Amino acid sequence: MQGGSSGIGYGLKYQARCISDVKADTDHTSFITGTLSLKEENEVHLIRVSSGGTELICEGLFSHPNEIWDLASCPFDQRIFSTVYSSGESYGAAIWQIPELYGELNSPQLERITSLDAHVGKIKCILWWPSGRHDKLISIDEETLFLWSLDCSKKTAQVQSKESVGMLHNLSGGAWDPHDVNAVAATYESAIQVWDLRTMKKTNSIERGHVRNIDYNPKKKHILVTAEDESGINIWDLRKPKVPIQELPGHTHWTWAVKCNPEYDRLILSAGTDSNVNLWLASPSSSDDITSEGLVDSPTRRLNPLLNSYSDYEDSVYGLAWSIREPWIFASLSYDGRVVVETVKPFLSRK
Amino acid sequence: MRVDDLPMDDKAKRMRDLLSSFYSPDPSISPSPDSPSSRPQQITLDDINSTSFDPDHYMNFLVEKSNLEGLLQRHVEMAAEIKNLDTDLQMLVYENYNKFISATDTIKRMKTNIVGMESNMEGLLEKIMSVQSRSDGVNTSLFEKREHIEKLHRTYNLLRKVQFIFDLPVRLGKCIKSEAYADAVRFYIGAMPIFKAYGDSSFQDCKQASEEAMAIIIKNLQGKLFSDSESIQARAEAAVLLKQLDFPVESLKARLLEKLAQSLSNLQLKTKELSNASVDSKDSSKEESISCSEPAAAHEASVREFAEALRAYCVIFPDSENQLVKLAQDLVTKHFETTGEYVKERICSAELLRVLRVIWKDVLVMDEMLHEAALPDYSLEAAKVAVKQYVASRFSHLLHDISDALTKVHVRQKDGGKEYSLQVVLETSKKAVLQGSMDVLLDFRQILEDNLELLVNLKDLIIDLVQEGFQDFFRALDDHFLLLSGRNISPSQDQGLTEGTQGDKAFAGLVLVLAQLSVFIEQTAIPRITEEIAASFSGGGVRGYENGPAFVPGEICRIFRSAGEKFLNRYIKMRTQRISLLLKKRFTTPNWIKHKEPREVHMFVDLFLQELGAIGREVKQILPQGLRRHRRNDSNGSSASSRSNPLREEKLTQSNTQRARSQLLETHLAKLFKQKVEIFTKVEYTQDSVVSTIVKLSLKSLQEFVRLPTFNRSGFQQIQLDIQFLRTPLKETVEDEAAVDFLLDEVIVGASERCLDPIPLEPPILDKLIQAKLAKTRDQIPSAS
Repeated sequence: MQGGSSGIGYGLKYQARCISDVKADTDHTSFITGTLSLKEENEVHLIRVSSGGTELICEGLFSHPNEIWDLASCPFDQRIFSTVYSSGESYGAAIWQIPELYGELNSPQLERITSLDAHVGKIKCILWWPSGRHDKLISIDEETLFLWSLDCSKKTAQVQSKESVGMLHNLSGGAWDPHDVNAVAATYESAIQVWDLRTMKKTNSIERGHVRNIDYNPKKKHILVTAEDESGINIWDLRKPKVPIQELPGHTHWTWAVKCNPEYDRLILSAGTDSNVNLWLASPSSSDDITSEGLVDSPTRRLNPLLNSYSDYEDSVYGLAWSIREPWIFASLSYDGRVVVETVKPFLSRK
Repeated sequence: MRVDDLPMDDKAKRMRDLLSSFYSPDPSISPSPDSPSSRPQQITLDDINSTSFDPDHYMNFLVEKSNLEGLLQRHVEMAAEIKNLDTDLQMLVYENYNKFISATDTIKRMKTNIVGMESNMEGLLEKIMSVQSRSDGVNTSLFEKREHIEKLHRTYNLLRKVQFIFDLPVRLGKCIKSEAYADAVRFYIGAMPIFKAYGDSSFQDCKQASEEAMAIIIKNLQGKLFSDSESIQARAEAAVLLKQLDFPVESLKARLLEKLAQSLSNLQLKTKELSNASVDSKDSSKEESISCSEPAAAHEASVREFAEALRAYCVIFPDSENQLVKLAQDLVTKHFETTGEYVKERICSAELLRVLRVIWKDVLVMDEMLHEAALPDYSLEAAKVAVKQYVASRFSHLLHDISDALTKVHVRQKDGGKEYSLQVVLETSKKAVLQGSMDVLLDFRQILEDNLELLVNLKDLIIDLVQEGFQDFFRALDDHFLLLSGRNISPSQDQGLTEGTQGDKAFAGLVLVLAQLSVFIEQTAIPRITEEIAASFSGGGVRGYENGPAFVPGEICRIFRSAGEKFLNRYIKMRTQRISLLLKKRFTTPNWIKHKEPREVHMFVDLFLQELGAIGREVKQILPQGLRRHRRNDSNGSSASSRSNPLREEKLTQSNTQRARSQLLETHLAKLFKQKVEIFTKVEYTQDSVVSTIVKLSLKSLQEFVRLPTFNRSGFQQIQLDIQFLRTPLKETVEDEAAVDFLLDEVIVGASERCLDPIPLEPPILDKLIQAKLAKTRDQIPSAS
């Protein structure tokens, strides 16, 4: 495995966990990331990949009042993003807008469009409808799922509906189905559940514990990828929720994050606490009913699904994002605040 | 026109040509037969001979070209030539005239010769006519007499026939008395057409009488056919006669066949008895040959009888071979079916051999009688199937044994909840694999070494089957292992949350056993089996060489190597998963931001150490002790040790939050200079390697958990205390102290980073609390044990 020497790096001042692709920026490949520092003043960095792809340029640096646990960019307005933050004891979530002409301001401040302050518990994440303009927003805390109706111009957000799942299940995250605006998958301590947002009822569930991260395959319907602490990466077909259609070994320690490539439907990226980012090629899953990895061991399946392992990190990697504009580029963020942008172009030919 | 052979000077030749061209209608043809030698000369003179000759032009040409002397010479030449031509012409005319005269003479002679012929011909015709008229006269005078003679002859024949028919009943009666059935049938058949034509009118009585006689004959014939005492020859004759009488022989045939089939089923029963007898004999004593000789002899006799019957039938109904062949083959098939049933039970090769031998004997006996059935070939095919079944069943039994060895203990443990030894499981299963395989091989060798003709032919096939069998067997074993290890995985995951059950733990042990067993198979069993196969099962080749040998030890080794690694990793995964759960509970339950001051080491530490202890015990039973420290270069994951110990202590005592920022900077700096400490090294099949991998993975999980909440000062101090307490026992269990130290430090640093007010406990207090905990455990241990 080659080292990560091909990647370009960018250092944040503090530790950080989350990075997101600025989806609405059609002119540049840019990422947005925020720091996680309990005691210092936290920052949001807007980073752009230079036109030659050789450098990472800091486009904007904004101070953020609290440490950022989750950050997501708005898919239709490049200046809007959401954060989930914590001030030690309490949690909050907000929609922010990067001020216009921020380059000319001396110390630009983020404009807070609105706060999503209906939450009681620990907020886990905020989800935007992943493919296009949609005025709804989902926020998930430990016990409750909220559907917000967002009006950017009026700078308001209203709870449209909410559903409490009870104390026993601990919600830990979720993903919005890019193929179905009404379906959202939420991860629990012991299962993944798919909710219908119109009725706020559970429609499907996969009994699987310890799911850290979840992502829909944006190219194929019903396909869901999960990252689990010890069991690596599993690919699921929601129509067959009993067993995963494929298992990938994942990382030496926990697999923290997993992201499907927005363009090449078999490419999967995962980040782990063993300070590695792994690039996987899922087997073509159109027709096979592989029930268990071990039982079907035909030679064709012996192909190593691991395309590359990027190991140029000093600490656990928590943040991971593909670029939508240039789908062969991804950004990763390790806990020590290092952003590394890599290209997977050398591996595309092997598909 | 022909060029003559006689030599001719050019001039004469030219002249002849010219003349002939004069006679021939087409002037262009005339020069064609010229020889090429004369041609050039002709061309120079051609001008003068051609039709398109232009005298003026010729003259001009000559005058222009020649001098006077030449012209004069030319003139003389020409004059001579002309004279020559004249004489030639005269000669030709004369010759032709001569020929014409002789032709006229010949014609005249022919005319005089023909004149006298006509009168002769007329005389001849007259004579022929008179001969014909005489012969006609003779014919007519003889005709009447001949007709009369013919009529008389016919009447005589008819009368003789009538006489014969009237005599028939009597004659038949005589035949019956003297048992000359063949003659009787012949007579009757001879009279048949007449009976058919006149039976209803003139010969009614006669017909009735003879039919009665025939009925008796048929009855007698039938009786003869069915009586076993009659000679086969006689029976066959009877059958032929009956057939001639248009008697429905088919039904008789069917009845006889039925009889045969019945005797077949009797035979069948005996085969069963035989096998039963041999089963009994196995239990009773080793003297199988004696104990089974009695039923075998009885069986043989009955088979011989059957074969006799078959032959008789065959002779009686010569065209019924197909049915007989089918019957005999049925018998063989049934034999082998019984064998197949028998093979499904657990039998050793000696018993199979005995059964096969009996069958072969039967086959040989029957083959003598019924050669067309090709019974040896047929039974060879059937034997192939039987042997195949046998091999398959042996392997499936072996698989079953091994799985029993593995699971029985598992099950027993589940029921009783009694302490069981993984070591025992490992040893029994090892033995089951190796000994079982050796036994199987021994068995097969016995079959191979037997000189029974049936099996000698199958030698190659058996070798292939055995090789293939092992290949498939190990593949199946691998699958079975996976099944065993995979069966409980999902329940264990689900239940893991609610109950860390005993069964779960036992199951992890099983996975560990599987891992070690796979290694054993790869390193010990496969080489032994390969050796054994090479020694006595080489060759084969029915499969064809392009496929290569059926048994590929390399492939099997590879399968089991990867399987072993898989199981080891799975074991580690299962174990770390349990610890992870423990840690998760520990870190998600309390409200760390409102944590109370630490009073004692938290009990999760005990649980953690307990788990490690259990793992250590399991591992000790199964895996060998590692001899060396693990290799550093096998690392596949790394993390930098960011802080050295003294530095950290110093920093932590500095409670000043203002310094936190510079501390982070320092950490980064330190990271740059500190060498990387490998955390995730390749797992080896040693106790130390497995335990330390689990410890390291658990500590890494601990670090990850610590990074998630936010601590107040007391929470941080609690973590500090717990980690401090863990330090000593962990170092005792793990060989790689540096990695453990590093990871424990990382946990404390992680906690301090997530702490609002990271002031560590004073060392004396820390020490005191740890001592208190140690004392408490010391108290508990004697009371518990």
